[in-house]
Amino acid sequence: MLGFVEHSRNNGLNIGITEAMEALKVADDPALSDKSYFHDALKAILCTSKDDFSVFDSLFESYWSIGSGLVKSKTTYKNRSNLQKQSPGSLVMMGEGKGEGDRETDTKSVSGANAVERLRKTDFSKLAEADVELLEELALRLWKQMSLRMKRRMKSAVKGHKLDLRNTIRRNIQHGGDLIELRMRNRKPRKHRLIVLLDVSGSMDKYSYFLLRFVWSLRAHFESIEAFVFSTTLIRITDYLDVNNLEQTLQLMSLKANNWSSGTRIGACFATFNEQHSKTVLNGSSTVIVLSDGLDTGEPTELSKELKRIHMRTKKLIWLNPLKGMKEYQPVQKGMSAALDEVDLFRSAHNLDSLLELENYLSTI
Amino acid sequence: MSILTNRESIREAFDTRKYVIDNELSTVVYLMSKLNKPLLLEGNPGVGKTAIAGVLAAALDTRLIRLQCYEGLDVSSAVYEWNYQKQLLSIKIQEKANRSEAEKEEHIFSKEFLMPRPLMQAISESEKPPVLLIDEIDRADEEFEAFLLELLSEYQISIPEFGTVKAVHKPLVILTSNRTRELSDALKRRCLYHWVEYPDFDKEIRIVKKHRPEIDDDLALRMVAVVQKLRGLKLAKTPGIAETIDWVNGLMALGYDELTPDGMDETLGCLLKSTDDIRRVRDHGVDQLVEAV
Repeated sequence: MLGFVEHSRNNGLNIGITEAMEALKVADDPALSDKSYFHDALKAILCTSKDDFSVFDSLFESYWSIGSGLVKSKTTYKNRSNLQKQSPGSLVMMGEGKGEGDRETDTKSVSGANAVERLRKTDFSKLAEADVELLEELALRLWKQMSLRMKRRMKSAVKGHKLDLRNTIRRNIQHGGDLIELRMRNRKPRKHRLIVLLDVSGSMDKYSYFLLRFVWSLRAHFESIEAFVFSTTLIRITDYLDVNNLEQTLQLMSLKANNWSSGTRIGACFATFNEQHSKTVLNGSSTVIVLSDGLDTGEPTELSKELKRIHMRTKKLIWLNPLKGMKEYQPVQKGMSAALDEVDLFRSAHNLDSLLELENYLSTI
Repeated sequence: MSILTNRESIREAFDTRKYVIDNELSTVVYLMSKLNKPLLLEGNPGVGKTAIAGVLAAALDTRLIRLQCYEGLDVSSAVYEWNYQKQLLSIKIQEKANRSEAEKEEHIFSKEFLMPRPLMQAISESEKPPVLLIDEIDRADEEFEAFLLELLSEYQISIPEFGTVKAVHKPLVILTSNRTRELSDALKRRCLYHWVEYPDFDKEIRIVKKHRPEIDDDLALRMVAVVQKLRGLKLAKTPGIAETIDWVNGLMALGYDELTPDGMDETLGCLLKSTDDIRRVRDHGVDQLVEAV
């Protein structure tokens, strides 16, 4: 039994000592001596989500069906996240040249503080293929921490509106129960709306892979987040962000959004946005983030006009440009220079650190 | 607790209360009492997650205490609250009494002034272990989830003014989630896990017959086939078992004893709960759907 627990643990199931003890208890129970009941019982104890089921089933089969429980199964299931990463959902870009042979890098061997530091500062476009997976993991972890921190910070910040009877009474016992000092309670601040416009045109290929993941992780912090991808056309992807599983999100998106890696007509796309979506999506308290390199093939005047319209209806307009990370970069392309007047904040977005910096701005929203 | 001693009696008890339970679920319910662990049920809306708790409580002839979670649910509406009005009055009455402040405080924070909310009720139930249903836990905030950890592992609640209240009888706890967000690992680890799937064809027919024993065999067969087919379409709101039963009831209330395109068209609202879906199915062709089965 313990062998099986060990075996499952090595294959990616999250099992602690309590679970192992319970599994032992179940193994002793005569009421569950039948194999299929035993299977169901272990499943309920050892799995913590539906995604674990398939892994568990095959582990169970391979371990218990061949003779005694001592069988050391040769099958190595990569852990769940790895399995999923290979799905076609990772649709875009960086996946292109990545054959099976390249993925043999052992994650464990390249960890350590130095590697982490290096990765955080690496430009997404200059990333070695071996590092992609590692960076992805790191990024998800850091972004999760980020949204958690942002939450905390916001809660202790605001003054109260609502009377806190519980504390009021307690404070006023000394006045004989007359309510002289009032205690207030904080209302939990409402999360604000965030609108993300992500450029997925050919020139952004190297970046949009990560930026899309970044957008996905932002969703935890904002009460409502609206996301669009654009290149030559604009497509709303908000619905796909609701899915809890990142890989699934990407997969759904790849089915729907067919405008990846094409040319760029930023102005026209923003016009579509203004016509079709801005009324429902934008209100005075929303923040708009544009993630684009500003390499536009359309008319700069159109871009500037449409940006102005967006700006009018938002609290803050942030433009993140991956190219800004380059030392010699100057926003001189026609599109970008036209846009700058309308933008509240112009930042880079070429590596993990630059994205994490955004936290400071977002938390004050 | 008698019915929880083996799976067969669990199945029977559920069966008599119109709940068709499969092997896996009955095993999990058995384990729940055996290991004294809460049960986390996940699954799509309308597959009977909440109903399990109701049936279990009825089968054990015990109280069902339900806590519906929502965003912003806080401890004072889930666990306990002080009866402020009564406390204020009490302070007034005691004004002239010759008591120290500390005594007064102790008095107004005694059990007399405590209003138990669902979770508190569940652990202070004195006769027999109640069934505690924490419904749609994924809607509650993460802080509330964290608070639940103490309750679910120790079955006790700490009240700062008062001390710790320990459960007289450990309640049978069922949590449900629609998976609108991922629950924390800590919470999951404290629970048994079961995923409630849409029923397959045979099971759904058995369910329908349980609820409407008088239904014509052919009608049941065809209706269930249609529902199963609708689940295959990518609808915004996939119909669950609750919808199937509603639909059967609706169609029978209108006096249909066979499935016709007209009848289906009239009762489509029982089955589909969004205009987009209804339009999609109508475009797809109600006649086609009915004839195909």
